[in-house]
Amino acid sequence: MRTYQGEFAIELPRQTVWEFIMDPHRVGPCVPDLLKLDVESETRFRTLVRVGVGPVRGKFDMMVEVSVIEPQVSAELSVRGGGMGSRVDMKAKVTLGDTESGGTKLDWRCDAAISGPIASLGGRMIDNEARKITEKLFANLREALSSVSEQVAATSAETVEPETTD
Amino acid sequence: MAVRQTELRPLGKSVGRKEDPRFIRGKGRYLDDISLPGMLYMCLVRSPYAHARIKSIDTSAALQAPGVKLVITGEDLAAMNLAWMPTMANDQQMVLATGKVLFQYQEVAAVIAETREQAEDAAQLVYVEYEPLPVVVDPFKALESDAPILREDREQKSNLIFHWEAGDKEATEELFRNAPVVVKQDVRFPRVHPSPLEPCGCIADYNSATGKLTWYVTSQAPHAHRTVLSLVSGLPEHQIRVISPDVGGGFGNKVPVYPGYVCAIVASLKLGKPVKWIETRTENTTSTGFARDYHMTAEIAAEEDGRVLALRVKTIADHGAFDAAADPSKFPAGLFSIVTGSYDFKEAFVEVDGVYTNKAPGGVAYRCSFRVTEAAYLIERVMDVLARRVGVDPAELRRRNFIRKEQFPYKSPTGWTYDSGDYEKTLALALEKIGYEQLRKEQAEKRARGELMGIGISTFTEVVGAGPSHTFDIMGIKMFDSAQIRVHPTGKVIARLGVRHQGQGHETTFAQIIAEELGLSTDDVIVEEGDTDTAPYGLGTYASRSTPTAGGAAALCARRIREKAKKIAAHLLEVGEDDVVFDGVGFSAKGLASRTVTMKDIAFAAYTNVPEGMEPGLEATYYYDPPNLTFPHGAYIAVVDIDKGTGAVKVRRFLAVDDCGTVINPMIVEGQVHGGLTEGFAIAFMQDIPFDEDGNCLATNWMDYLVPTALDTPKWETDRTVTPSPHHPIGAKGVGESPNVGSPAAFVNAVVDALAPLGVEHIDMPIYPWKVWKILREHGVTE
Repeated sequence: MRTYQGEFAIELPRQTVWEFIMDPHRVGPCVPDLLKLDVESETRFRTLVRVGVGPVRGKFDMMVEVSVIEPQVSAELSVRGGGMGSRVDMKAKVTLGDTESGGTKLDWRCDAAISGPIASLGGRMIDNEARKITEKLFANLREALSSVSEQVAATSAETVEPETTD
Repeated sequence: MAVRQTELRPLGKSVGRKEDPRFIRGKGRYLDDISLPGMLYMCLVRSPYAHARIKSIDTSAALQAPGVKLVITGEDLAAMNLAWMPTMANDQQMVLATGKVLFQYQEVAAVIAETREQAEDAAQLVYVEYEPLPVVVDPFKALESDAPILREDREQKSNLIFHWEAGDKEATEELFRNAPVVVKQDVRFPRVHPSPLEPCGCIADYNSATGKLTWYVTSQAPHAHRTVLSLVSGLPEHQIRVISPDVGGGFGNKVPVYPGYVCAIVASLKLGKPVKWIETRTENTTSTGFARDYHMTAEIAAEEDGRVLALRVKTIADHGAFDAAADPSKFPAGLFSIVTGSYDFKEAFVEVDGVYTNKAPGGVAYRCSFRVTEAAYLIERVMDVLARRVGVDPAELRRRNFIRKEQFPYKSPTGWTYDSGDYEKTLALALEKIGYEQLRKEQAEKRARGELMGIGISTFTEVVGAGPSHTFDIMGIKMFDSAQIRVHPTGKVIARLGVRHQGQGHETTFAQIIAEELGLSTDDVIVEEGDTDTAPYGLGTYASRSTPTAGGAAALCARRIREKAKKIAAHLLEVGEDDVVFDGVGFSAKGLASRTVTMKDIAFAAYTNVPEGMEPGLEATYYYDPPNLTFPHGAYIAVVDIDKGTGAVKVRRFLAVDDCGTVINPMIVEGQVHGGLTEGFAIAFMQDIPFDEDGNCLATNWMDYLVPTALDTPKWETDRTVTPSPHHPIGAKGVGESPNVGSPAAFVNAVVDALAPLGVEHIDMPIYPWKVWKILREHGVTE
């Protein structure tokens, strides 16, 4: 079991951030190296991602389920899946708080259990790789949220030029 | 320099190996060299979890993949009553997981396709839904009352497999109560793997027209495998032919029956086509029979001068998820009770608790007669602890405690009867040859300069040649062995034995024994092993048992032929049988050396001119049930220097003096010793199979599990003493495992000796440089 965590602040009201992370269509694309996204319901989506750890390279098929712990405050994403004979079981908890400037602070903590040949790469590289993937996920989320705040800003300035981020 | 195979009286000579022309030129025929028409390939789906429920297995996508012919799951096998198979240790093991998985890399499904690539690709498409369960990797935690029960199939709801004892508990306690000196040491022998160069595999070829199954398999025990297969599958035994082709190393790893074998056979039965399965290196390292993994605690009660009184040993044995240890049936902890070693203990009491954990099953005798390596390592390590405690030189302490030459046959306090030995002679030769006194002087000088040099001794006793049928069986089959010799009219011989070599040189060694007995040369004799349709029944090659059992059978079988030859010689020489003498080369009339007939003359006569009333032909079969085991011994000395900056240990010299009784081929013995020492060196310094808390195996390939190369390996010095076995037909004892059994303690004793000035009493293997470096740093020796 490995634990990774981080936090960032975003200049958006908590309600907006909350709605964003509750929307599989918007959170799904934040998954790094995404090959395919298949939204099954409001709380479930399936992703196909490209993974490469040292000599092991292939695709992981992951099922993500979002559950609300406390509305507007915290939610849990459980990620289960795998490929190449390996498995990933991840629980990510996201907690929202207010910043003094009226924005939102987002704390995240992720517990990952990795099993199979990928885990056997042990201390050598899996740790870094898993950390990288997790951090990238939340970096992408932050970026996507930033684009929302830009859109919000743009909308309020009545110039409609949505930017895409990927 | 090897002598020619045409040499007469070849026994005891370094005859060049008959195997070498094919092996050196890459012309061996190993399993993967065999290709049959229409052959399919199998690949196994393995569990990523160490402990999990299986909620569902979806094979539909795999079945639709290109080239796929069949997918087998545990449920399919259950329908055939093959979901579980018996292990050699009277336990049962899942063939393919049903209900749950119990170790990472456990076999979950088998995919059979037209090519290996297709099978590998389709295996990725078998979707298994798991629900992870709590994992137990620590055998001590497995015994706690709140530990999850791993084996729900067993009646006994605990993770304890067995409790086993040997020796007299009361008498031992009594001696401990009044002993002036008691030393105690925890010693761990890590989990290691035999890691043969060639992994395991098989080709199952079921002929639906004849109903005959031909099974090519990397097997150290083809006959035993045939019987087990027949009992498990219900196929009639005479319709099964097991062929073990050239085997690229076994070391105990190719004794068990693995799930992949059963799946390949089932697939061939279902499809009526040959099915090949060869595991990858990772599969071999993570799922096939591991070795050791003993957590031992030894106590010695002794006098103040270091004379030993009693030994007390407690062991927790981690067997993994299924007890698939390779042990004779009556010995759940193998021959571990040989742990009193070369020393004259008055009493001893030994306990072993076998435990289930979420790890791969095994506990095979890796170059070892069933847990002898663990026992020898323990006693040799703890004798050094005692030596240090009472302030006696480790060589002197051993001399003080040796079983003396005149005490043989010696009955040990745990019930073994040692056949013969001369421990003092062997140690004396080793000390003299290495220059022990000079080395100790040099060490004292170096210590004064703050340099770290160590000398380690191991004077181990082995127990090999399982075994006598009154005690030894595997699943009820008695552990004798056999030879069948047929002499052709031109005096050429084909001999078949019930054992199966994996590179040990049987084709030469046994030809030498037979040629010696018959008055022929080695090149007159072909030795064949490994085909159950032609070879007589035998229990196979492991545990240094081939020479003690099949070697004995070969000699006695040849003597049977010689008996008949003598009668024919009398007929040819026209004298009475009592007047015929055999001088090792030919038969002559007593007092008339000029009138001689050779075995070649006699062989021709056996088919053309036998005396009236005699059955023609010249052949014999012999099943040899040895009266006792044999007890080889040795004295090994390691000299090491430790680099203070890095903690790296350099083995400067290593001398192995072995006594395996009569030597058949000194060159082959030396080769075996070199190989075993290299393995012992790897175990001491490089090898371990660790697991993380989730049960992930962290040594899954040769990048993480180190196998020594010529660059790492020290130069080996070897010598011999000869104390023949009194009960073996030619006095030979077996040597293959001695170096692996005897050397780890010599290495570790040397390292501990080097670090003794820092107060170090023990280090567990493997002795990685960082382990030593940490100790040096703790003591301020290095920055």
